[in-house]
Amino acid sequence: MTDDVEVLPSTESARRHLAPGDVGLVAPRDFVSSHPFTFKSGQVIPGFTLRYETYGQLNATRDNAIVICHALSGDHHCAGWHTPDDRKPGWWNNLIGPGKAVDTRRYFVVCANVLGGCQGSTGPSSINPETGRPYGILFPFVTIRDMARAQKLLLEHLGIAKVHAIIGGSMGGMLALLSTIEFPGFIRRVLAMATTGRESAQAIAFNEVGRQAIMQDPAWNRGDYPKEAGPRVGLAIARMMAHITYVTDASMDRKFGRRKKDGAHADAYTFDVQFEVEGYLRHQGQSFINRFDANSYLYITRALDQFDLAHADGSLEKAFAPVDAETLIVGFTSDWLFPPEQNRSLALALLRAGKRASYAELSTDLGHDSFLLESEELYALVRAFLERDEPYEFDYAI
Amino acid sequence: MTKQIVKRTVDMQIIGDWVEPGTRVLDLGCGSGVLLDYLMQTKQVSGIGVDLEFAKITACVRRGLAAYQGDMTSFMRSFPDKHFGRVICSRTVHELADPTAVIDEALRVGRFVTVGFVNHGFWKNRVNALLQGRKIKNEVYTTEWFESRPANPVSVADFEHFCTAKGIRIARRAHLAGDWHTPCHTLPNLFAGYALYDLAR
Repeated sequence: MTDDVEVLPSTESARRHLAPGDVGLVAPRDFVSSHPFTFKSGQVIPGFTLRYETYGQLNATRDNAIVICHALSGDHHCAGWHTPDDRKPGWWNNLIGPGKAVDTRRYFVVCANVLGGCQGSTGPSSINPETGRPYGILFPFVTIRDMARAQKLLLEHLGIAKVHAIIGGSMGGMLALLSTIEFPGFIRRVLAMATTGRESAQAIAFNEVGRQAIMQDPAWNRGDYPKEAGPRVGLAIARMMAHITYVTDASMDRKFGRRKKDGAHADAYTFDVQFEVEGYLRHQGQSFINRFDANSYLYITRALDQFDLAHADGSLEKAFAPVDAETLIVGFTSDWLFPPEQNRSLALALLRAGKRASYAELSTDLGHDSFLLESEELYALVRAFLERDEPYEFDYAI
Repeated sequence: MTKQIVKRTVDMQIIGDWVEPGTRVLDLGCGSGVLLDYLMQTKQVSGIGVDLEFAKITACVRRGLAAYQGDMTSFMRSFPDKHFGRVICSRTVHELADPTAVIDEALRVGRFVTVGFVNHGFWKNRVNALLQGRKIKNEVYTTEWFESRPANPVSVADFEHFCTAKGIRIARRAHLAGDWHTPCHTLPNLFAGYALYDLAR
């Protein structure tokens, strides 16, 4: 996901968290599980923490929860503001809030930072209780399934009896789909956007270049580095490159074209930043290293590469056999990282397996990041999927 | 009810009579899902609609229907033989770029294929063409030629000829008069306003 959000003028900024339709000021919380957690790899950690946020209220029947799953570089802060002075709101603030497509007046929205992450959940930058130092690459290998199982423990802890819907884009879509496979009977609807049942060679290749940039940085030191240092150059380069895969030629051309930075001479031969697009990518890299851990980046991209729904069962249809949730897959025409065909094939496999599944495809030229798009069409679809005539009544009393 | 809604409903009722309860139904060109919704409620079918427009998919999802946005032929190619109990092609056939390919593929993935279309050979259309010499514009053909999609109008005789030429078995047929309600038993190519066929192979 990209990091750009319009910064509002200062007069507005002091009160923008009070805007109608906004969840307002929110605070993250920690779920601490003190039971040993066994990863798919067989490795065990004595316990773990997931940092999460919730918006709205759980109803009396405890079945109005909507679980939001974030992408590779995302986190638990998907709506609202942490302080009135925040530069930007949560990453899916346009979708989630009172009266919005994911309506927090109706639903209890939960979003957690994934296991293996670095925004407060247990991951390679957490302290290994056995050594008193960060795990580094001694942290167990994380899979999407491990993330789903850890998240399920949080949802149970929150007292959720049934999940109304689980929603995610990109890696979040994988996590949402896998959760419905792993926990039949627990989730009513799944909405996965800009996602895939398995990454193509090209997507794995991009991840590998990112990992190499990190691991070839001497500061990586086989994953053993202090919190404030580490392979900042490598991580920034990984981010710069990954960022290009989230957008498109057309959207970059519209945003930057060949425009030069102020003061850059048209015919100057220098390797300093000349074009606006260079400045922008450097900014993306720099802001990323201040919020993301390089080892987490290695672990999570590896989890993405290894995700393969069809592999374990031999086919997607067999993998989807346990699904009893209603599924909606949304692809985006210009997404070349997880292209429409890969999204479509998920819906088709679900249908072949006799499941209730829909597929919609939005025309956009913004690439993979399109799922974050401010689009009334997309909002209408999400709302239709979540709110259509229910066989049961919602409880507004609580 | 307006005339158009009455006409739509008649079409639905006949298809509803032909559909076996509880079967898997594919609606090609499902639009906002009116027909599928009706079949799900009256015949408890499990339905999936295919349409090209995002807004139609939203409308179907809002009704609680499953819908797929994309090309109908490539959609059907993704399914094994006889996956569906019935494939419905209601008021779509005249808009197809390659009707043979679509109906062939529908006969492969469906046990029955229901095709419903407005009979272009209806006598009023003939009179209109003779007297006006222009594209027909009325409550059925609502658009001017320059604002409509390319259409490939089909008559009862055209369709029967198609089935004979392709060796397609006509399991059932229903011809309705100009009111789209009264059954039409004489010279349907001339007197039927609407025609429905149930095809099998």
